[in-house]
Amino acid sequence: MKVKLFGDLREKVERGEVIGGSSIILTINDPKIETVFDIVQKLSIEETEISHIFVNGKYSGLKKKVKNNDLVALFPRNMGLLYKWYFNRDEDE
Amino acid sequence: MVKRILRIDMTNLKAEFEDLPEEYNTLGGRGLTSTIVAKEVPPTCNPLGIHNKLVFAPGIVTGTTAPTSGRISVGGKSPLTGGIKEANAGTNFAQRLARMRIAAIIVEGKVQGNDYYLVKITNDNVEFIKTDIWVGKGLYNTYKELFKEFGDKKISICGVGIAAELRGAMAGVSFNDPEGLPSRYAGRGGLGAVMASKGLKFIVIDETGAPGVEIADQEVFEAGITKVRDALLAHDVTKKGGALNLYGTSVLVNIINEAQGLPQNNFSSGQDKRAEKISGEAKAEAIKKNGGVRPHFCSPGCIIQCSEVWTKPGGKDPVGVLEYESVWALGANCGIYDLNIIAELNRACNDLGLDTIETGDTIAVAMEGGVIKFGDGKGALGLIEEIRKKTPLGRILANGTQFTGKAFGVTRIPVVKGQGLPAYDPRAIKGIGVTFATTPMGADHTAGYAIAPEIMGVGGKVDPRDPKKAEISRNLQLATAALDATGYCLFIAFAILDIPEGLQGVVESLNGVLGTSLTVDDVPLIGKQIIDIEREFNKAAGFTSAHDRLPEFFKDEQLPPSNEVFNVSDDELDSVF
Repeated sequence: MKVKLFGDLREKVERGEVIGGSSIILTINDPKIETVFDIVQKLSIEETEISHIFVNGKYSGLKKKVKNNDLVALFPRNMGLLYKWYFNRDEDE
Repeated sequence: MVKRILRIDMTNLKAEFEDLPEEYNTLGGRGLTSTIVAKEVPPTCNPLGIHNKLVFAPGIVTGTTAPTSGRISVGGKSPLTGGIKEANAGTNFAQRLARMRIAAIIVEGKVQGNDYYLVKITNDNVEFIKTDIWVGKGLYNTYKELFKEFGDKKISICGVGIAAELRGAMAGVSFNDPEGLPSRYAGRGGLGAVMASKGLKFIVIDETGAPGVEIADQEVFEAGITKVRDALLAHDVTKKGGALNLYGTSVLVNIINEAQGLPQNNFSSGQDKRAEKISGEAKAEAIKKNGGVRPHFCSPGCIIQCSEVWTKPGGKDPVGVLEYESVWALGANCGIYDLNIIAELNRACNDLGLDTIETGDTIAVAMEGGVIKFGDGKGALGLIEEIRKKTPLGRILANGTQFTGKAFGVTRIPVVKGQGLPAYDPRAIKGIGVTFATTPMGADHTAGYAIAPEIMGVGGKVDPRDPKKAEISRNLQLATAALDATGYCLFIAFAILDIPEGLQGVVESLNGVLGTSLTVDDVPLIGKQIIDIEREFNKAAGFTSAHDRLPEFFKDEQLPPSNEVFNVSDDELDSVF
C-alpha cells in the first residue's frame, strides 16, 4: 500500500520520494498491517501527532482496516484545520 | 462620548454623526450590518438603485487589544444574490473606525450625475472630494497615490475598482493591508458595485484624535483576552509554527485534495495530482525564495498571522496574500497549476476590485463554454483584462458565474442563490453542501465554519460518528454568525473549539467591552437572532425553500474519483432552519 505523509510527519521517515516538496509517498508491504493504527505504529508516529487520516480519500480513523493498493494519507496535528464536523469518520469495529 | 453611527447621504453630499440607538448597543459586525439593512432597506429594492444602502461595521472587540480581532463587516442587498449580504475583511481600517467610536457607517442615496467621490472621515468631520481622476485606474497604484496624498501614518483606505464602475455583480469592497496594498477584501456578493452605484469610490479614514474603544469593565476584558490569547498560543493550528502561520490558508489545498473534494476544471473532478504544486507548502517555499513576507498579519494584533506578501523574484511587485480560496478558484478550478500565473491573476483581481472566488468560478464556466481552454493561464489573464477595458465581454464576465454561464450556454453552473461556490465540492463534503444550500448568503464557505456543536451546547450532543447534517450545519451557521459579530477572526475557532477556556474568554471579552453578562450559552442565541433577521429579509425579497438548493448537476453527475453525488434530501435541507 501507499502511505502519504504531509508536513512535519515527513520528518518521521528518512527515505521516500518527495513530490512537489509537500508530501512524501512511501510504499509499504507488510502482511502484518491490518489497520491504519498498524501503519502509524510501524512508522513510529504517535496517535497525538496526527490530525486527519484519509484512506482512499475517505476521512477515516485509526481503526480503519487497510489492504493492498490502498492509499493512506496522514496529516500532522498542526494541519488539523479541516471542517471535521462535516465528515463521518470511517472506522471498522 | 457614546458610540456613533455616521450616516453619509450621497444624494445631497451630506454626512451626520448620530448617537448609536440603544437597541444597537450590544451589536457589532454582521449583527449590526444585517440589523440595519433589514430595518432600513426595502427587501424588494433594486440593489443598485437609490433605496439600497451600504453599511460598514467593525466588530464588538475590534480596535481593542483583543488578539486577532481586526474585522470589519460590510452589508447591503446583494446585486449577485438579490438577498441580504454580509462580507467581512481583516484590515486596520476596521480597528481605526472602532477607535473613532464609529459603530457603523451607513451610505445611502446616490450621486446625481456621473461623478465619483472620495469621502474623508476624521474624528469629527466628513469631507466629500471629487475623485474622477481615479476612475478607470487600477487600485494598486491608486492606493499608493492616496496614501501619499493623505499621509500614511493614521489613515486607512477602502475602495472599489473598475469592476464596480461597471456595476459588476462580482465587484468586491477592497481594504488596505499593512503594506498599503489593496489586497484585503469584503469580496463576496457584489457589494463593491453597490458602493460604486452610490457614486462613492473611496473612503479614507484618519483616526487622529480618536478616543479609542470604550471598555465598560477593564478587569473582565483583560481576563477574557488573556484566555483567548493563551488558547491561540497553545493550539497546534493557530500558534506560531502552526499550519496557518507556516503555510497560510492554502494549507487546505493538500488536505481537501486528499479528501477528493478540491474541485478541478469547473467542478468536474475532485482531485488532481498537480494540486501539490499550488499547495500552501509549495507557496511558502516560493515566497521564501522570492523574497516576499511570510508569515504576516492582515491587521495589527493578530497572533495567528496566516497572511503573507507574495512578490515576484527579488521581492518585487508585491501582490499581497494568496488565500486558499483564491489559489483554488483561479488555479485548480481553471486547470491552472502554476503559482506564478495564479498570483498574476490574483493581482489583476485586486487591481480591478474583483472577488477572487467569483472570478475563478466565472473564468471556469467561460472555459467550459469554450471561450478559452482549461489550463490557459494567459487566456484567463486576458479575460480579466476585458473587464479593465470595459468591453462587452468584460461586462458579461464582471457579472459573475451564473450570468457568464448563461451567456455561453453552460449548464454546469456552480452557484447557490446566484453566488459561485467556494473551494469544497459538496459531493465529497456533503455537510458543507448543506451550508452552501441553506445559508442566507448564497454559497459561502465562511457561513458554517468551526466551533463544534457539542461545545456550543445547542440542540443536544452530537455523535461525531453519526452527524445529522442539518443539525451540524445549523449549529455551525449560528456559531459563525455570532463570531462574525464579535470582530474576532473565524480562525480563532480552531483554538476555542479545543480549549473551552478560550471560548469562555471570548465571551468575557465581549462582556468587558459591553458591560453585559453574556454566557457561553448565549452565543448560539446571538447567532440565531442574526440569521432570523437575514432569512426574514430574504423571504420578503422573494426567496423560498426552492432557493435553498444546490444546482442539479451535483445530484446527477458523479464526482471522480470518489464518484459521489450530493444525496442529501430536500427535506433534510429544509429542516436546517
